[in-house]
Amino acid sequence: MKGLREYIEHLEPHFEKGGKYEKWYALYEAVTTIFYTPGHVTKNASHVRDNIDLKRIMIFVWACTFPAMFWGMYNVGYQAVDAMSVTGATSLEGWRGWVMGLFGAEYSKDVLSSMFIGALYFIPIYATAFIVGGFWEVVFASVRGHEINEGFFVTSILFALILPPDIPLWQVALGISFGVVVAKEVFGGTGKNFLNPALAGRAFLFFAYPGDMSGQVWNIVDGYSGATPLAAATTGSMKELFEMPFFEAISSTQWQDAFLGFLPGSIGEVSTLMILIGGLALVYCKIASWRIIVGVMIGMVATTLLFNSIGSDTNHMFAMPWHWHLVTGGFAFGMMFMATDPVSASLTNKGKFYFGALIGIMCIMIRVANPAYPEGMMLAILFANLFAPLIDHFVVQANIKRRAKRYVS
Amino acid sequence: MSANNDTFFKTIIVAVALCLVCSILVSGTAISLKEQQKANASLDKKKNILVAANMYQKDIDISEAFKNFERRFVDLETGKFVEVTNPESFDQRQMAKDPDNSIAIEKDEAKINRRSKVASIYLVKDADKVKTIILPIHGSGLFSTLYGFVALEADKQTVVGLKFYEHGETPGLGGEVDNLKWLASWPGKKLLDANGKLALSLVKGGASKDTEIDALSGATMTTDGINNMLSYWLGEDGFGPFLARLDVDKGEA
Amino acid sequence: MTTATLDAKEIKSVITSPIADNNPIALQILGVCSALAVTGKVETALVMSVALTVVCAFSNLLISVIRSQIPSSIRIIVQMTIIASLVIMVDQILKAFVYETAKQMAVYVGLIITNCIVMGRAEAYAMKNGPVMSFFDGVGNGLGYSAILVAVAVVRELFGSGSILGFTILSPINDGGWYPTNGLLLLPPSAFFIIGFIIWALRTWKPAQVEETN
Repeated sequence: MKGLREYIEHLEPHFEKGGKYEKWYALYEAVTTIFYTPGHVTKNASHVRDNIDLKRIMIFVWACTFPAMFWGMYNVGYQAVDAMSVTGATSLEGWRGWVMGLFGAEYSKDVLSSMFIGALYFIPIYATAFIVGGFWEVVFASVRGHEINEGFFVTSILFALILPPDIPLWQVALGISFGVVVAKEVFGGTGKNFLNPALAGRAFLFFAYPGDMSGQVWNIVDGYSGATPLAAATTGSMKELFEMPFFEAISSTQWQDAFLGFLPGSIGEVSTLMILIGGLALVYCKIASWRIIVGVMIGMVATTLLFNSIGSDTNHMFAMPWHWHLVTGGFAFGMMFMATDPVSASLTNKGKFYFGALIGIMCIMIRVANPAYPEGMMLAILFANLFAPLIDHFVVQANIKRRAKRYVS
Repeated sequence: MSANNDTFFKTIIVAVALCLVCSILVSGTAISLKEQQKANASLDKKKNILVAANMYQKDIDISEAFKNFERRFVDLETGKFVEVTNPESFDQRQMAKDPDNSIAIEKDEAKINRRSKVASIYLVKDADKVKTIILPIHGSGLFSTLYGFVALEADKQTVVGLKFYEHGETPGLGGEVDNLKWLASWPGKKLLDANGKLALSLVKGGASKDTEIDALSGATMTTDGINNMLSYWLGEDGFGPFLARLDVDKGEA
Repeated sequence: MTTATLDAKEIKSVITSPIADNNPIALQILGVCSALAVTGKVETALVMSVALTVVCAFSNLLISVIRSQIPSSIRIIVQMTIIASLVIMVDQILKAFVYETAKQMAVYVGLIITNCIVMGRAEAYAMKNGPVMSFFDGVGNGLGYSAILVAVAVVRELFGSGSILGFTILSPINDGGWYPTNGLLLLPPSAFFIIGFIIWALRTWKPAQVEETN
């Protein structure tokens, strides 16, 4: 290791101002800091709570997505094998089938085989998101002469996890490019973006290629497409499940499948349990704000109860109870990993409650009342992102007023 | 600029003069172009009907091709032909808003609330024999009401074609109702299934029977809307009685 | 200023400067609403461009001709009346001669009345300058608007529907081809992104247009 360090230090002068490769300093810095902690770490006020710097936070968030990610891979494989037993297919199509043959891997529902199949879907998506996202990060860092920020680690993993497994890779590249360039770099890079870049990229794909992105997306095995629970709920086929009392409902196999994550859906969004595990770790380390999460839950439950009590004969979504909203679609993932993004959320403590509640309310409103979009979490969070600064403004103003009053009296 | 522009009289004079000149110009243009515009609008309507009847080609003389078309009025409840007082200005959409000339729909599948008692249809005739029946349909999609024509063969059960001439659906999704390739999948489809029940509908995941048409991908609500309006307008509350009554050999109902 | 001071160089500068140096959309951010609505297809964008250029040029001309007679208390109303009359005439002519396109553009031709570019030029230029120069100023600003509109429309129609002016270039999947059309570009808000990218490119090319940060 000593040799490596000496080599890196030997290279350094070339990359510093005036050196041969001055333009590439950002790239040099990014690579070397993987091996060694730089002499200067972030010491700004927002990070003094611990001996943790921005980079560590990013890597910690990255690690916290692992439960959801590994479960996602396992579930993709599990669902693929399940679908193959329906269609009678014996191997996957294309290069994936070839790789399976090469390793002599079995098509079985046991954990390792399923995870291997899932990895054949997830790894290319993640690699594409990582490489393309990283490419833009390097380009902008080089042109603007700042350091490469580890933010794109988080952005690319979050982005990969909210995509359907059968998405074409060129769409992954296009989506992450939009997310990184338009939602982040245009506004000055990490820390200055007012939208969550991963969600902005997903929203771009959602509007650009809606046929591939919503509703019945699961068709990694040819000729088989299973509806996601949200798509099924709009047609009324889940009516009986919705009418069950709470404890009966959560002990039903359908709800438990949804909670554990044995369902078709976006890769990392299926298992509410795994998302909660990763999310609670984030909360425990005080990276994710519990206030936002509580706000989202309150907003969601309140709006759901309101719709439940109104009721509707024609719109089946009105009857969907809150424990089903929690385990379907991107709700849990959005609440734990997207809404809590410290850059695009409200900064004030009080504001975080309002911000979270706005997300919960909007998510249910869109899911229930808008016939065009069965899933509302993504749009709800982006919508709340836009309001975050305004919420902060009012919280601060209210505080100033309150204190001014106290001063007078 | 002279300083006395802002006097009371000058202001009035300028205002009046300007209004006079402008109104003459505007009304002059409007009146002199009115005939041309009317002709355009009627040509456009004829063209849409021709497209529905699968008789439209590029560079065709529309007025000439439209000569075989006969406009008739149908009382939807009885299915009989009726005469209307002023056929030239008959507007089914306007009639649907008039409480005297329309009825509230009880089983409102197409989500249009009210419909006119009398509908305006077109027949393509060869001497007295009816060759094609063109029926107006409309109903709610996702964002808008879709207005269109569906054309049937003389057997009253084979589709000749379909065309929506007005809608505000999402471009690229529901807006694909204008897609020529999709429209081309309609001719030859059957209204009724083997049991004689109305079965013509859009289905997801590939049409397999001759009563099925591919749904519009990614446009669930528009697809449902088209299914509902087909079911309403071709059913008992819509043109059902008329289709049952129509004698295609004599062209009477 | 009288018509006597006219020279070719000045006319040229009045016509060309609004295209890149002082573009009404990209620099002044005026008239953006219609740029969102009619840029789904190149054809509608072209018709809209011509309509706006004609209205802008002639409203400038007419207002400039009577500028010394306009009482300042009803100045804006007089300008609006002239602009509105011109727009109605253009709308009528479009409906009579290019019916199909006029139908697609629906209310947006009529909305030229509220287009800030036309009003802006009338108030800022035609009220102070001679008729000929005002006319060319209107033409120049119309062309500046047109340049952006057509650029946006080319991107939207090419990548959104796979065609330009109705001629298929990238054969879309829905018609049995290979190109997956980008649905976002068919929706009006996508024009915001494209105009944003154009402004970005323009300001990189001409850094003088970048506003100072405060």
